Amino acid sequence: MAEPVRILIIDDDPDFKASVRSLLESRGCLVFEADSGREGLEKLPECKPDLILLDVMMESSSEGYGVNQAIKWREEFAAYRNIPVVMVSSIQQEPDEMFPMAGELEMIRPDFYVRKPLDIPAFLASLDRVLPGRILSGTEPR
Amino acid sequence: MNLLLDKRQEGPPLVVVIDDDAAMRLSCRKILVKTGLRVETFEDGMQGLDAVARLKPDVLVVDLKMPGISGMEVISRVQQMDPSVVIVVITGYATIDTAVEAMKSGAYDFLPKPFSPDELRLITNRALERRRLMVEARRQELERELLKRRFVTFVSHQLQTPLAAIHQYLNVLKHLEGDPAAEARRREWFDRCLARTEEMLSLIRNWLTLSAIEGQCLARQRVRVDLAPIVASVLETCEPLAEAEEISVESDLPEGCLTVGDPDCLRVLAENLITNAVKYNKPGGRVSVSARASGGEVILAVADTGIGIPEQYQRFLFDEFFRVKTPNGSKKPGAGLGLCIVKRIVGELGGYIEVDSQVGVGTTFRVHLPAASGRHEVQAAQEETGAACTTEDIDRG
Repeated sequence: MAEPVRILIIDDDPDFKASVRSLLESRGCLVFEADSGREGLEKLPECKPDLILLDVMMESSSEGYGVNQAIKWREEFAAYRNIPVVMVSSIQQEPDEMFPMAGELEMIRPDFYVRKPLDIPAFLASLDRVLPGRILSGTEPR
Repeated sequence: MNLLLDKRQEGPPLVVVIDDDAAMRLSCRKILVKTGLRVETFEDGMQGLDAVARLKPDVLVVDLKMPGISGMEVISRVQQMDPSVVIVVITGYATIDTAVEAMKSGAYDFLPKPFSPDELRLITNRALERRRLMVEARRQELERELLKRRFVTFVSHQLQTPLAAIHQYLNVLKHLEGDPAAEARRREWFDRCLARTEEMLSLIRNWLTLSAIEGQCLARQRVRVDLAPIVASVLETCEPLAEAEEISVESDLPEGCLTVGDPDCLRVLAENLITNAVKYNKPGGRVSVSARASGGEVILAVADTGIGIPEQYQRFLFDEFFRVKTPNGSKKPGAGLGLCIVKRIVGELGGYIEVDSQVGVGTTFRVHLPAASGRHEVQAAQEETGAACTTEDIDRG
């Protein structure tokens, strides 16, 4: 059997994490949790995730963007730069609206967005797309 | 017009004087410069209007009777250009009627010729004060707009977050039907859904309370009330919460702390303060509640031995949605509206609130309310008819 997909959820809402964890575990994933952006960054070496689910609004209304920027651009996280980051928020707001200073947007644009609550089939299908060779949507729950 | 974005030059306020009489221009300049103002003078309406557009003065002093563009014309054009410029008209005795006319069309005041230096100074100062108030009013209006916009974002986020969590639990349960791991958690998740539903209900109740205060329907009843029994009954309802958190509660509530207000309002006030003192306490901590009458006031003090509020956050404490973080960075459940409600109620009842806090030691809130003077009798809320506001909806939690 293939190595399980390792997923790190960075979110301050325990209920969101609990339900997503069950969903992903039912697909055979190994799930890690962090309550804040900082904790998420600290846990990277231990988790070595294949994918990061990142909430936008945590302590501050744009904390998720800061975390994404750190992962993608900061030297100390260079080893994790290629991990796909999926940003999650209940409020649909493009970074372009949130930070109207165009030049730097590419630094914080996530690999893709999903909205809370998750549309489960669409969510799993998009995980398949960013995790080539791993099919989560097709597998039946264990 | 946006006063805040005007690139007005730093420095003293600017007065533009338009008068065809050179001697008048010179003396106005002399008098006003002496009081520390910047002054620019112009000899006709055309130049003057051009200067107003360019220099954006705080005050415009304009002679009504001039060749070319008349003073009246100047006033109406300046009004269109920038209604925040305060206009003073200068006029001879013969044209007082015109001065009245000018004021109808937007001039702030008029100065009949001949006038003394003191009269000019006095009227200019009044005009500047008027100007300051206009700028201030505009600034406050902008602030309110911003706050309103921020409010909408927060409200949608605060409602969406629990709704999304509930929706997602149900959706995952549905999606994983038959999956033993998910089935095993079904009961636990239902409880979480209920808790999140409660959270939303309490949020909405708090908003209703706030808007009731804003609509001034909350503290309609003005009766003599003794704080002691109200606070004592609130303490009773808070007991289970305190027990669950292992907090001991002590109280010193002598009878006779009489104030004037709405009993339901005072109950909401006490409830918010006391539940906060329990929630933001440490396990094994203490809450002390006391009331006393002193110097025309009744003072309700609620003290906790909790986490305290860092000084730099104290000024945000009564803001909507502000919440104190616990030392490990987490937040207690709640919407951040409790103290905002408390402050508005206290304001409504003509009192004020103080806070003393030390990080790691605890926080004391002191509410000062005017004491009942003895002549306050039951003043019916029914004085005003029609308004269907009740206090039934006030949040009890």
